[in-house]
Amino acid sequence: MKAVPLRQEIPAEAGRAASGAQAAAMIEIESVSQIFQTSGRQNHLALSGISLSIADGAFVSILGPSGCGKSTLLYIVGGFVSPTEGVAKVKGRAITGPGPDRGPVFQEFALFPWKNVLGNVMYGPRQQGVKHAEAEAQSRRLIEMVGLKGFENFYPKELSGGMKQRVALARTLAYHPAVLLMDEPFGALDAHTRTRLQNDLLNIWERDRKTVLFVTHSVEEAVFLSDKVVVMTRAPGRIKEIVDIDLPRPRRRAELLLDPHYQKYVVDIERMIDDTGEDGLQL
Amino acid sequence: MTPARKLFSWLAPFLACVGLLAIWQVAALMLDTDSFPTALDALRAVPSILTDKESLINILDSLRRMAIGFGIGVAVSIPLGLMMGRSRAVASFFNPLLMITYPVPKAALMPIIMLWLGVSDIAKTLVIFLGVSLPVIFHSFQGAKAVEEKMLWSGAAMGLSAAQRMIRIVLPSALPEILTGCRTGLVLALITMITSEMIARQSGAGNILFNAMDMGQYDTVFAMIIIVGAMGIGFDAAFEAFRRRLVRWSEPRFDMPLSFS
Repeated sequence: MKAVPLRQEIPAEAGRAASGAQAAAMIEIESVSQIFQTSGRQNHLALSGISLSIADGAFVSILGPSGCGKSTLLYIVGGFVSPTEGVAKVKGRAITGPGPDRGPVFQEFALFPWKNVLGNVMYGPRQQGVKHAEAEAQSRRLIEMVGLKGFENFYPKELSGGMKQRVALARTLAYHPAVLLMDEPFGALDAHTRTRLQNDLLNIWERDRKTVLFVTHSVEEAVFLSDKVVVMTRAPGRIKEIVDIDLPRPRRRAELLLDPHYQKYVVDIERMIDDTGEDGLQL
Repeated sequence: MTPARKLFSWLAPFLACVGLLAIWQVAALMLDTDSFPTALDALRAVPSILTDKESLINILDSLRRMAIGFGIGVAVSIPLGLMMGRSRAVASFFNPLLMITYPVPKAALMPIIMLWLGVSDIAKTLVIFLGVSLPVIFHSFQGAKAVEEKMLWSGAAMGLSAAQRMIRIVLPSALPEILTGCRTGLVLALITMITSEMIARQSGAGNILFNAMDMGQYDTVFAMIIIVGAMGIGFDAAFEAFRRRLVRWSEPRFDMPLSFS
């Protein structure tokens, strides 16, 4: 059974969808393909002909089964991986490498273990040439914003997974990237922590509406957070569908879970993912 | 830890030393030969060595060579190991070289080195340098290889250049591993210091030891072994204290992780 595009089924309740479409594109991905050489000297097609445009200020999730190349797509935008074919652009300029305009947040946190919380958050601004006192004041505000006031002098080893991810988010926000690249950031966390961090991320995002590219394999998470959900197929990764999520903001979890529109998005997108592979066990 | 346990863990190394000396004493008394002095005789010879001006000059000569060999060894090996860990080309160039030199006892190179450089300080320092290098290169290499890719990516996104990432991310995150290599290197420096002096006998602690051996002064021989052993333990303990200070961040402050999301 083919899923029917949702756009026509659900009337736009908020006017945001229209304004989002008019905003300038922050990220443009033009027919990007990625081929990896596997150890057996075989070519593995990870991404095939991906084209995607992400508007300034949009929260876009990339959703798909594991091994569909969704993280690879994010790494290409980050400039950590260069695509075999095609071009990715940020603010109209082709991406040639990593830069402070695109801030990554990884599932593995990737904090600097030899720096305490404050040191980690200050690292980016200091590298950008911000004066020590100013960087420290800014970083302390950010640490408070992510809910870690009082933990400034703790080292990453002394923190729980959820706390580490809060530090990682603050560390990335500290150098003011125009785009946040989040690679399954809550994937390693337990359900309760995950929910709290989703709520906090939305609250933080509502303040300055950065462009966010968010990779996840959780349908609920993608629908709850995003303006747009990009559904990908199993390897080779292709875009199967782009779903606009027309749910009003600010979103509150308790209300949303009871909202039939939210439920319908979740069910329909789950069905799309089921269609993309015959058997869910295949990796 | 309860105070009694703490006291015991403090005393344990001393008790082990005393036990070892006691076994030595009993064994020597039982065997009763000239070539195996009792522990007490050997200990009695220690102060006379340490107060003798000539012996002290010899020991300080040894230590100077050891310090220079260790210092240069570490200064060369850490950057080399780190570069090998981050660049496949550098690794595949140096790895075969290291694999060939690894199983060769460094003291076995002494005759060749003496042939070229004579019995000079440089020859002995060079042997110490070779002894220190391998473990430090190996551990630096392992440490650099294990650096999390995502950590380097995070640094690159902040605007760190490749050279800055090497110094400000690879070096600190490999530091615990590097210091483990340095600790092994320090003990090996002491060992190669003595063996180099065994072969090129001119000055140094190894020279005192083997001169005494030639003259049948066995209590001096054993006293020198005690002195060299004590230096080894002292250096190792001092280095371990230094290492702990530097990498305190890699050891948790609490036994249990905090539960807070």
